[in-house]
Amino acid sequence: MGNNPAMATLLVHIALVAYAAAAAAYLTWLVRPRERLVSAGRALLFTGLLLHLTSFAAAVSLSHGEGLARAGFGSDAWKGGQLFSLLAAATVAGYLALDLRYRLPVAGAFVAPVTVAVMVPAHLVHSGTRAIAPELIHSTALAVHVFSAAAGTAALALAFALSLLYLTSEKQLKSKQPGRLFARLPSLELIDRVGWHLSVWGFVFLSVAIATGSLVSHEASGSAFPIAPKEGFAVLAWALLAGLIQARLVAGWRGRRLALLVVAGFLLLVGTYAGLLAAPQHVSSAAAALIAPGRG
Amino acid sequence: MPVLLCIGLSHKQVPIAVREQLAVATEDLPGRLARLRAMPAVREAMLLSTCNRVEVFAVADARNAADDVLRDLGPLAAEHALIRVEEEALLHLFRVAASLDSMVVGEAQIQGQVKEAHARAQEAGASGAALARAVSAALSAAKRVRTETAIARGVVSISSVAVRMAHKVLGDPSGRTVLLIGAGEMAQLAARELRAGGASEVLVANRSAAAAEALAKEVGGIAVGLGELAALLERADVVLCSTAAQQPLVTRDLVARASKVRRFRPLFFIDLAVPRNVDPAVNQLENVYVYDLDDLERVAAQNRDLRVQEVQRAEAIVREEIVAYARAKQERAAVPVLGRLRAQAQALADAEVERTLALLGPLSERQQKSVRSMATAIVNKLLHRPTARLRGELGGPLADAAAELFGLQEGGDPEPTEREDPPPPASGEPPAASREPPGETGADVLPLTGRK
Repeated sequence: MGNNPAMATLLVHIALVAYAAAAAAYLTWLVRPRERLVSAGRALLFTGLLLHLTSFAAAVSLSHGEGLARAGFGSDAWKGGQLFSLLAAATVAGYLALDLRYRLPVAGAFVAPVTVAVMVPAHLVHSGTRAIAPELIHSTALAVHVFSAAAGTAALALAFALSLLYLTSEKQLKSKQPGRLFARLPSLELIDRVGWHLSVWGFVFLSVAIATGSLVSHEASGSAFPIAPKEGFAVLAWALLAGLIQARLVAGWRGRRLALLVVAGFLLLVGTYAGLLAAPQHVSSAAAALIAPGRG
Repeated sequence: MPVLLCIGLSHKQVPIAVREQLAVATEDLPGRLARLRAMPAVREAMLLSTCNRVEVFAVADARNAADDVLRDLGPLAAEHALIRVEEEALLHLFRVAASLDSMVVGEAQIQGQVKEAHARAQEAGASGAALARAVSAALSAAKRVRTETAIARGVVSISSVAVRMAHKVLGDPSGRTVLLIGAGEMAQLAARELRAGGASEVLVANRSAAAAEALAKEVGGIAVGLGELAALLERADVVLCSTAAQQPLVTRDLVARASKVRRFRPLFFIDLAVPRNVDPAVNQLENVYVYDLDDLERVAAQNRDLRVQEVQRAEAIVREEIVAYARAKQERAAVPVLGRLRAQAQALADAEVERTLALLGPLSERQQKSVRSMATAIVNKLLHRPTARLRGELGGPLADAAAELFGLQEGGDPEPTEREDPPPPASGEPPAASREPPGETGADVLPLTGRK
């Protein structure tokens, strides 16, 4: 399997089909709340994730041990969208872990379709490849940076989804007009609590990503704090999350206010990725490694 | 001809903000009933005042008595109230008792409330045989609805809706503190349910320490003083209110201060009182949610939609029962005419037999018996067809014609041999006849077919 580059692509394609089937199961569950649909959606997401991770493993084996930064990016078919592929896999993994603990099918009805929506363009986008600076190929800091950024983004994406759920549910409760899906929504307390935990984890991973990103940048260009949109958005998102944690711990903020801060924080993080993709000539070597690892 | 009237309003016409201004306190009921009874055109009356409705059911001499009743309810009620007359009023009474007009269709509490309202009217001397019969029939219909349909199966009572909403806000009640203010039945039910669901403590506050102690024992809680309300709001997660206070006990400022102290932990108010105990503005505060009866109705309505088929079956039963009620009433109207007719014929036959026996001279016992039997047989054969027709047509114009033809007007001689059946008493009530105030006619409220 590892000797056939097409195999990794095929695995991702099958994973995408599984994600799409999971999305269909979860969305049907919203209309017809049958427990079997949730079980099917969960199983399909898990299957998709396994296939997805296997495709990464296949890509790593194809890279002949040239570094973790190449994981999942060795195939020509996955050039521009490979970053999103990694983020989607991380988000699905995060959701399944959450679901194991809290049983949140309604979040699955958000995560599965969004995963498909992210993965499909990831298939279709064909961006130009960019070189990774040779000195970064074996950099541990780069590997930690990539995976902490992916984990932090996944945690904040889930927190973002839960915040939207919170705002929807809270609005219905305040206005005393429960919508059709009200019965499927978990309690405000649970959404708030899980969203809070995810925000803290997101903040921790983002902190590690920013710190290691600075190291990587220093290794590649000699500047630990380059001035670029990507870094700017990342620092703003980090500062906002720091403020969020401070507000919760010191002033006792929770609920709607916190949900709005999480939404803002995640949008800033999206800005980071937009900066990464929109201005590749300014991004660090590590970022270049993320989006175009095919050419070492 | 007396008519049945229903004058009033319910949750369907006005929001709780209006109903709470019109609610009649229990201690005011005798006075209100006395006022109704004193109205010249009103023969009988009962006042049904619950969280969801304020309605007067009255038997009156004429429809325009409704205007007097409406005036008595006050200008606010007059603005929104509905007036229902005769069949419409009767149908409404049946639907109310069967819980088809309730906020939560299928809930059982309304039956007890109708029974209670009627008992109060009887105590006050305001209700007579006609209302007793109508209420009794309505309660029988309600019983049939409950036993023959699944309307009450899986019914979401207001208290369980309240608990469900508390779950939506606070999640698992484990470790939560419930504050119960007042002694309303629904609030107690909700408190018990939350306690059973894992709430760590139930605090019971009441104006009277003794009442708080007694209630705390019932719900497995701790009695606290209502004077400590500000501190209690800092501690509680769910607050159940059901006092008879005329002004809000829980104000926006009070909760805003408590909210800061509790570091914006969510606080859920369930206000089951009319008038409301919690200022509606409290709901504007962050992480604070206030649900009153109307709000809970909106949630319960979803449940009601799910049981549309059962509701349709229940409506059919109510219609059947109304037809049966009307039929029974017409039979009651026909029976006195029949009784008087038979009695008159039998009296004539007996008189003729005695005269004939006197003319015939001494006869044996057997011979005398044969003559009497022959006379009775002639009466029976002569009256067989008219009796069957009158019974078959349930009185109506034929009964009037028979009364006119044979001179059988009520009060005439001879006395009827068949007596009007008393109405079936509502469970737990004494027979209607024993309750009827002196001078009551016991007139039926639904006009006979063809006699309107």
